[in-house]
Amino acid sequence: MHGNALVDKIADSTPDTLSVAATPPTEASVRDDAKARVPFSLRGLGRTLLTVLPLAVVVFALLVAILGPTLGGLDPFEQDLLQRNKGPSAAYPLGTDHLGRDVLARLIVGTRLSLEAGLGGVLVALSLGGLLGFAASVAGGAAETAFYAFVDLIRAMPGVLLALLLVVALGAGLGPVTVALGVTFAPIFAYVARATYRRELAMDYVTAAESFGASGWRILMTHILPNVSGAFVTQGAIVLPRCIVTESVLSFLGLGVEPDTPTWGRMIAQASQFIERNPTAVLAPVIALSLLTISLALLGDRLRRRLDPRRIDEGAAA
Amino acid sequence: MTGRFVLIGTTVLRSAFLVLGMAVLIFFLVRIIPGDVVDLVSIEGGLTEEAQQQLRQELGLDRSKPEQLLIWLTNMAEGDLGLSVRFQRPVADLVTRALPTTLALASLSFVIGLALAIGIAVAAVIWPRSAFPALVNAVNVWSIAMPTFCAGILGILLFVLWLGWMPLLGNMVLPSLIIGLDVAGQIVKPLHEDLKEAATAPYIRTAHAKGLDRATIVWRHILPNSLSVVIALSGLIATGLVGGTITMEVLFGLPGIGKLALDSVLGRDYPTIQAVAVLLAGSVVAINAVMGIVARLFDPKLKT
Repeated sequence: MHGNALVDKIADSTPDTLSVAATPPTEASVRDDAKARVPFSLRGLGRTLLTVLPLAVVVFALLVAILGPTLGGLDPFEQDLLQRNKGPSAAYPLGTDHLGRDVLARLIVGTRLSLEAGLGGVLVALSLGGLLGFAASVAGGAAETAFYAFVDLIRAMPGVLLALLLVVALGAGLGPVTVALGVTFAPIFAYVARATYRRELAMDYVTAAESFGASGWRILMTHILPNVSGAFVTQGAIVLPRCIVTESVLSFLGLGVEPDTPTWGRMIAQASQFIERNPTAVLAPVIALSLLTISLALLGDRLRRRLDPRRIDEGAAA
Repeated sequence: MTGRFVLIGTTVLRSAFLVLGMAVLIFFLVRIIPGDVVDLVSIEGGLTEEAQQQLRQELGLDRSKPEQLLIWLTNMAEGDLGLSVRFQRPVADLVTRALPTTLALASLSFVIGLALAIGIAVAAVIWPRSAFPALVNAVNVWSIAMPTFCAGILGILLFVLWLGWMPLLGNMVLPSLIIGLDVAGQIVKPLHEDLKEAATAPYIRTAHAKGLDRATIVWRHILPNSLSVVIALSGLIATGLVGGTITMEVLFGLPGIGKLALDSVLGRDYPTIQAVAVLLAGSVVAINAVMGIVARLFDPKLKT
């Protein structure tokens, strides 16, 4: 994009005729000129908003998750059986569910659970896939081939199906769900490990370290890892919303965390049976889930463009 | 000619190994599940200790794990999927009854998704200054932000309850539209990028110079070259279809494979879970294999 920056600069400092003369008037450059001439560009504003708004949503969700349950006065389990399936009111800002429980209180606890499951899943996936991937790559040879054949196998399974089987196999609870999500998404990080390790291995600084007699592990830990951590952070940011969605699908299907736990997926599943009488109880978690997902996805995309211009396609095409 | 046979042969062999590996993986995953179907049946039916032992023996659950695996694999290879204890009928029976629903749902979704993605991407290339490029992003964002089950609930609320346009149970149109939109959202962006890039190729300039109109150029010259993008994304499409059908079948009460999978998982019905999981995972592998072969045979860029 060197050319565009140049065109912008010329267009800023000189009359239009000069900029047209300076660059061949292709369709693209003419369009860029038009853009550069507008001092306050809508496109730029849109781009800023696309970063600021998602960031605000995520920060808000984090605050809710951390502070929400400690605020007091909100009980996600208390049943007010006379106030079942009620719409928003002063006492219950988002209404009540089919057992007369406070939807807002449940939504707040659900925020924490979604983020815990999502972040936990990413951490498990990152450490599992990353560590094993690096270990296999350093070992090389048959170990690497066998390990990546297994990774390919897991990768080829439909994600929801694999997570479903894993979570049933591991049992109910937040811990098992986190592990199930971690295993499901681990292959992505294993591919990142292999791709980055191979890329860095070809670099001169690795050859230099080798010539000093450093071992494979030493080179990995002290030289390669600091250079590739950006790729892992980026991939983690991309996987996070998908982890959160997968958790909610599992809860929606009645699997995963304990039946009583107010996760968003569980809330949606329960309230959808009374959707006609009380749409708010469904809409609240649906909107919360999609808002958080889209915000995290947009931020992840920003991060990818900022930190990792070299795309790791294996990881991205999931 | 022989090159093609080698290609098809290796792809089929690779896929067969992949499915076999999945089958083994699924077998052991299912075996980790605490409690077996006999436990579950006996809780409901109050079986005696002796009857439980007998049932386990009949089902082969008393044998060692590798032995069970081997028996199951050979039976499957012979087309015998086993007996569902939960539903008291052969698994093959359950699967054949559920299959038409899922196939109809998946193929309808596939057609809708592909038509939407290609239509929007092509329109965005033909009219780059219209609203279509924005629509590419909108559809893409939608598929990221809206898990299919959430979209399903919004759809039910809007079209079934508020507008009253369609029934809830047995509805096929709404779930296919939702899965289709989800699939379209995942492939429309890469497709659009590729089409845009293809549009700058020298032979396209030649076509312009020949005086062909934009629509003809896109349809006849650009789109065929982007076939490989759609095919490269077939894995994404296939897993999207599988995930989508599971949630949509549950939500809309469609008696398909996804519903069967969930019911058998909740009912600890080993033979059914195994068969259905292998079927779903295997169909993804099969779709990938077929698309891969098609790509190699018809795309000039990938011909070896």
